[in-house]
Amino acid sequence: MNLKYTLPDHEQEKIKPLLKGEKIVYCLPFDLDKDGQWISDGWVAVTRNNLFILKNGSIIRNIDLSQTDEILCSPEVNCGILISNHSSYDEILCRFSMRFMVQYSYTARGASLFCRGQDKEIVSPERERYCPACGQVLPGTNQCPRCAGMGRTFQRFWSLCGAYALPFLSITLFMAAISAITVGQQFIQRRFIDDVMVPASGTLGQIGGFFATMLALVLLVLALSTINTIWSNNLGTRISRDLRGRVYAKINELSMEFINSRQAGELMNRVVHDTSHIRQFMETAFAQMFTRIFIMIGAFITMLFMNWRLALLTLAFVPLAFILVRAFRKLERRLWRQQWRFDDRVNGRLQDVISGIRVVKSFGQEQRETERFRSYIERLKYIQRRNEVLWATLYPFVMLIITSGTFLIYFFGGRDVLTGSMTPGELIQFIAYANMLYMPLQFISRLPRMIMRLKTALERIYDVLDEELKIDQASDAIDRDLDGNVVFENVTFGYKSYEPVLEHISLSVKKGEMIGLVGSSGTGKSTMINLLMRLYDADDGQIMIDGIPLSNLTKACLHRQIGVVLQETFLFSGTLFDNIRYAKPDATALDVIKAAKIANAHDFITKFPDGYDTYVGERGSTLSGGERQRIAIARAILHNPRLLILDEATSSLDTETEYQIQEALNRLTQGRTTFAIAHRLSTLRKADRIVVLDKHSIAEVGTHNELMRQKGIYFGLVMAQLEMHKVKH
Amino acid sequence: MLKEKMKVEDQVLEKQKQVVDDITSVHRITKENSVFSRTDGGFVSLQYTEEDGEIKVYNRITVHRCFPHSDPTHYISIREPEGDGREIGLIDDMDQLPEDTCAMLNEQMELRYFTPKILKVRHIREEYGYSYWDVVTDRGTCRFTVRMGGGSVYPIGKDRYLINDLDGNRFEIPDLYKLSAREIKQLDLFI
Repeated sequence: MNLKYTLPDHEQEKIKPLLKGEKIVYCLPFDLDKDGQWISDGWVAVTRNNLFILKNGSIIRNIDLSQTDEILCSPEVNCGILISNHSSYDEILCRFSMRFMVQYSYTARGASLFCRGQDKEIVSPERERYCPACGQVLPGTNQCPRCAGMGRTFQRFWSLCGAYALPFLSITLFMAAISAITVGQQFIQRRFIDDVMVPASGTLGQIGGFFATMLALVLLVLALSTINTIWSNNLGTRISRDLRGRVYAKINELSMEFINSRQAGELMNRVVHDTSHIRQFMETAFAQMFTRIFIMIGAFITMLFMNWRLALLTLAFVPLAFILVRAFRKLERRLWRQQWRFDDRVNGRLQDVISGIRVVKSFGQEQRETERFRSYIERLKYIQRRNEVLWATLYPFVMLIITSGTFLIYFFGGRDVLTGSMTPGELIQFIAYANMLYMPLQFISRLPRMIMRLKTALERIYDVLDEELKIDQASDAIDRDLDGNVVFENVTFGYKSYEPVLEHISLSVKKGEMIGLVGSSGTGKSTMINLLMRLYDADDGQIMIDGIPLSNLTKACLHRQIGVVLQETFLFSGTLFDNIRYAKPDATALDVIKAAKIANAHDFITKFPDGYDTYVGERGSTLSGGERQRIAIARAILHNPRLLILDEATSSLDTETEYQIQEALNRLTQGRTTFAIAHRLSTLRKADRIVVLDKHSIAEVGTHNELMRQKGIYFGLVMAQLEMHKVKH
Repeated sequence: MLKEKMKVEDQVLEKQKQVVDDITSVHRITKENSVFSRTDGGFVSLQYTEEDGEIKVYNRITVHRCFPHSDPTHYISIREPEGDGREIGLIDDMDQLPEDTCAMLNEQMELRYFTPKILKVRHIREEYGYSYWDVVTDRGTCRFTVRMGGGSVYPIGKDRYLINDLDGNRFEIPDLYKLSAREIKQLDLFI
């Protein structure tokens, strides 16, 4: 988000003499005064040395940051205040609504860095919520789909469709053919009336001929439309399949930072819904609407040639009909939305009560809930009935008005027929064309919405596809078997630029060594692991394996040789067999059994009726925690990594299971460089060295006995756990 | 060694008991046992005499309502601003306090709570899944954006509604039927 708004000219003038050549680093508006009135003339400007509060065109407070301990953004209830703190004395600087909350929390941190004398500018990776140009809500993208302009959309659409040029061309040709036939058909009908019916001299043979031609044409249009529909559905599904594949592949490649900045559900939406919007557009909008529009244009041109005055008269009704259609659609949407909302509420209530049925029953509230639900469905019935009745009465009227243009044609055209300047056949042909003009109006009124939806979907999809990969491997990255000597060299890293999680970490681990990582939560244990797995890149310093910096190893090489056992084991839907050989799909049955044996898993697996073929549901919910954990260990053993990471691998288990797993882990860690994070320190008995992290850096390193003798942090942790144990028993 | 361990155990138990006491007991703040005063920074400080006669001074306190919507003047919780915001005590009734104390606590609550009341709905425009509101509130005119679909507008009593906007601001309609028919019609979609 933008942390550097531009001050208005007047404020610029005021602040200039006070800046003393300094640049404004952060500048934000504030929209509330101390009494909670909305204002639009409040500004906060931060330079390297000062923080200025401006209101009503003048500077009302000037804070010397070097004389301040901290600038705080304090979240209140649906608003926030900015506070300066100096030797435990707090002062209110300004107040703002939730609109600026995120920006102020970043700015406060940025200003606090200046207070501490750190000359560092921070940025906010959060997305703007509104388009700075038009003020509309952005759908989680950088670019506003509304402001993007049709050019950009078309460009994207074309680049998307480029690969499907042939089906596109054929669909377009078919659409043109269908329209031409539909329009041309009317000429035959006219000849039929004028040549056969009106003179009353036609023969049965002539009628038969016309009948056959008309039937043939109708069948032809039918066939063409069917093929066209099949083709466009085919094309739509193909495009959406390809896009899904591309978006999904891209999401997999993208850095954790990008993924963390979006909600999982939102990314899923992009893969599933946005791509299907594009399919829907291809199927409904592209194939059907465009055909109708072609027909409309064709019909109107023919009308102009036949009788331009009557054609223009027909056209004069189109805007009126269009406005009516739109108004009607708005009403329609409103009614249905209301009904749908209430429907939702009834469902929500129902779900609430049914999932909480035990509470309802145990407090004896069945009667009350039944009555409440009855009043809900009573209201729903009322809304539904009202909507249906309104709809049923209104619809025919609206249709009548929309097509009322045809009545004018009957009148004026009928007059022309009487005067002989028009034949009856021509009149009927004309009326048929007029209907072709009016009928698609309903579809066309939906077009802006569909196009907007397409634009948004495209924008959201390309937002992912265009995202540049942040973590990339060097072009000369190598892929080789590793021994497992790991070196952290002065590594500094923070998930957010203003908040270092690790500072100046230096650690050298020999191959085969087991390192226990200890420290209270938030000290950066998992972060060290994340950096080692290269889910993130260090901001400063580097990590090397066998003397090679991580960025010079290919990702495939790194991940092939690192095995991970996490606290929450994730099993995919599938058989146990598939889950164990997830990282090595070509493993034989014997390999899998061997691995399971080492992991203490073989016995319980063979006791299952389905053995290794046991199907585990989503997230492995059919297994117990200990069983899942052992499957994960078997998976890691089969993977046979040089480097092993155990992140709280046993913390969610009871003591007995932990013992079994510990045993399995001991077999697993032999000869491998191991990093183990554990809260339960007894788990780390076997560790060669223990690294204690405190306040973002390494506080103590040594064996269990060494650290116990030191009587430092580790000693304290061990004692605390012993005491807790006593109290519990 | 064993004795030492026993001692540690006792200490732990004692501490736990204190914590439980502190969590479960309700301390009352009255005009007799408290002196509130304004600080230069715009906050309020408190000198509080605890039940056992010990006098504690807090440089800054925060003021929370227990029932911000249904009963804003009773059960006011006075808390420490730092850490996890321990409760110092509870004020049963604001009216029991001296006038100036009442005024300064009200100021603090005004600072903390921000829920403008909508007096007039000028215009609501709906577009592509969001509605853009233009309203007059008791804090002046403002525009805000609300996500369409359930949950953004919800009742908190008879004819009384709260509205959550996209940014996390909250607005209140104190009484729907005090608004004009035209305004209610605009709100129809949400209620």
